[in-house]
Amino acid sequence: MSQTITIDPVTRLEGHGKITIQLNGQGEVEDAHFHVTQVRGFEKFAEGRPFYEMPSLMARICGICPVSHLIASAKACEAIMSIRIPHTAAQLRRMLNLAQMVQSHALSFFYLASPDLLLGMESDPTARNIFGVVAAKPELGRAGIGLRRFGQHIIELLGKKRIHPGWVVPGGVTEPLEAAKRDEILAMIPEAYANIGLALGAYKQIAGSFFAEANLFANFPSLFLGLINEDESVEFTDGALRLIDSHGAIVEDGITAARFTEVIGEAVEPYSYTKFAYYKPLGYPQGSYRVGPLARLNIAKTMGTPRADKELVEFKQLSSGPVWSSFHYHHARLIDILYGIEKIEQILTDPLILDKHVRATAGVNRLEGAGQAEAPRGTLMHNYKVDENGLITWANLVIATGQNNNAMNQGVQQAARAYVKDGKFTDGALNRIEAVIRTFDPCLSCSTHAFGQMPLVLTLLNADGEQVDQLIR
Amino acid sequence: MTNSRALCLILACGNTLRCDDGIGPWLAQWAEERFLNDARVRVIARQQWTPDLAEDIAVSESVVFVDCSVNSAPGSVRLVEVEPVVASQGLATHHVGAPELLALARDLYDSLPSTAMLLTIGAGSTELGEEFSEPVLDAIPQACALLERAVMDRLRELDQRRLPASLNE
Repeated sequence: MSQTITIDPVTRLEGHGKITIQLNGQGEVEDAHFHVTQVRGFEKFAEGRPFYEMPSLMARICGICPVSHLIASAKACEAIMSIRIPHTAAQLRRMLNLAQMVQSHALSFFYLASPDLLLGMESDPTARNIFGVVAAKPELGRAGIGLRRFGQHIIELLGKKRIHPGWVVPGGVTEPLEAAKRDEILAMIPEAYANIGLALGAYKQIAGSFFAEANLFANFPSLFLGLINEDESVEFTDGALRLIDSHGAIVEDGITAARFTEVIGEAVEPYSYTKFAYYKPLGYPQGSYRVGPLARLNIAKTMGTPRADKELVEFKQLSSGPVWSSFHYHHARLIDILYGIEKIEQILTDPLILDKHVRATAGVNRLEGAGQAEAPRGTLMHNYKVDENGLITWANLVIATGQNNNAMNQGVQQAARAYVKDGKFTDGALNRIEAVIRTFDPCLSCSTHAFGQMPLVLTLLNADGEQVDQLIR
Repeated sequence: MTNSRALCLILACGNTLRCDDGIGPWLAQWAEERFLNDARVRVIARQQWTPDLAEDIAVSESVVFVDCSVNSAPGSVRLVEVEPVVASQGLATHHVGAPELLALARDLYDSLPSTAMLLTIGAGSTELGEEFSEPVLDAIPQACALLERAVMDRLRELDQRRLPASLNE
């Protein structure tokens, strides 16, 4: 008789999900799925709203990465308006997006992932949290809080609010940067460098002890997608998308937002409210790919900033081609943070950064528009259609977590096969299966545009589909 | 740490879209206006308390936490002392309570406010909505008075401590 194991809820994620593991009659893992169990339907209730309301409406999808939604949405609106925004506005948006990436990655690494990394996958689950990290390595706790403050304070300075700032609008931003704010941000840079230096050093010290996990955490060939500049450096806000294969060869390049849906399709599975993105020419699921920090670093030839470039060289030594194991998302996330700090510093020295011309205006000049940006978790695309009055008639959002969805499911299957034997698992095994998902840092609220609770569920089903065990935390 | 130092930090919590859960942010707004010209008082309102706030607490001489309570009678107003407590389990990432925040401040920054109080207002409803229930509306004057007194008491205590011993006699 086969069985199914359910992990519900999966803990330390941005959203609510569960994992089911199907066992065969011999107690071996036959199949495993990561279910996202919440739904909200932002695309639907946006219909009928004026297009210029979309950035502020869509940003409400998420409290962690609202800035990425603001930017992708504003860019989709600008495609409808057929305008190019002023240089200074583009730079200010870039800085805002990077600040958000820094604070979001700091949350993922220090609060959600570091309990596993610092305390061990099999450590006491009641102490495997931020308090345990603080007790073991208070300096890392302080660094994490410091990096969160760095990112959030920049967002607050620019957008007036730490969460859901309304500063990004179709055409640019509402206000220019003041010199005092520029100087305040510049004054925070040295501490931010010290904090990320501490985190990178600590990570490199402990990463070697997770050799087994690195081999088993979504370690398989796949395509990788991310934004890149013409000089092949990492980009978060502009540029175009590049898709590479598992050996690093370019499969598709220069994918603009307008071309996104020509190239990328979305499949639906009955067990999840999150869609499954895939590269159309290869079909589903063969065309599944990964996005986010690991993909960005696999795709880029350079970060475009000196300190992060040194780290990129070291990162690329993990493999002769693209790095396959999702365990290394953690490392890539830290390099992203370093890049973000350097790039913010560079942007602030732009001679035009205090320029007052930060907004372009226009009405409806096209009936469809799309915009794309890199959210902390990966590529984000907003696509809208409007009528001649500018009212939304259709909207679609392709979210990073949906683009990683198939890889997360494959990763859960890979880990379950390794850690579930004879129909049983220890808490260490349970946590490792959850930890595979955590490497991707999925945002389930974004991916389902959902109103949800935080917590994940592990269900064990027999061959007849009957539940024989369930763990809920 | 670079956060600004306050003699008294008012740290409120709540969701303004969940009826009485919004009383914390409402009282924070009231306190901002009441202590507008008093640089010794700092007010922070958040939808949830997160570990990041430990730093703000660590640099404050005293703290008054403000929150609604679903375990108290609707409209009941209570002011109690809070002690640091390390969370034994739970997510501890998206939301932490006042005792856990104090413990984080102590363990991360080796610093604790000399006094920590928690002001709670019993919630009648935490359904979707932007209006307070009748019991909470009725309790607002008492809650404001208690918050004002708590802050003024903290400031007076701290001023007393700073005076030379001879003037304290």
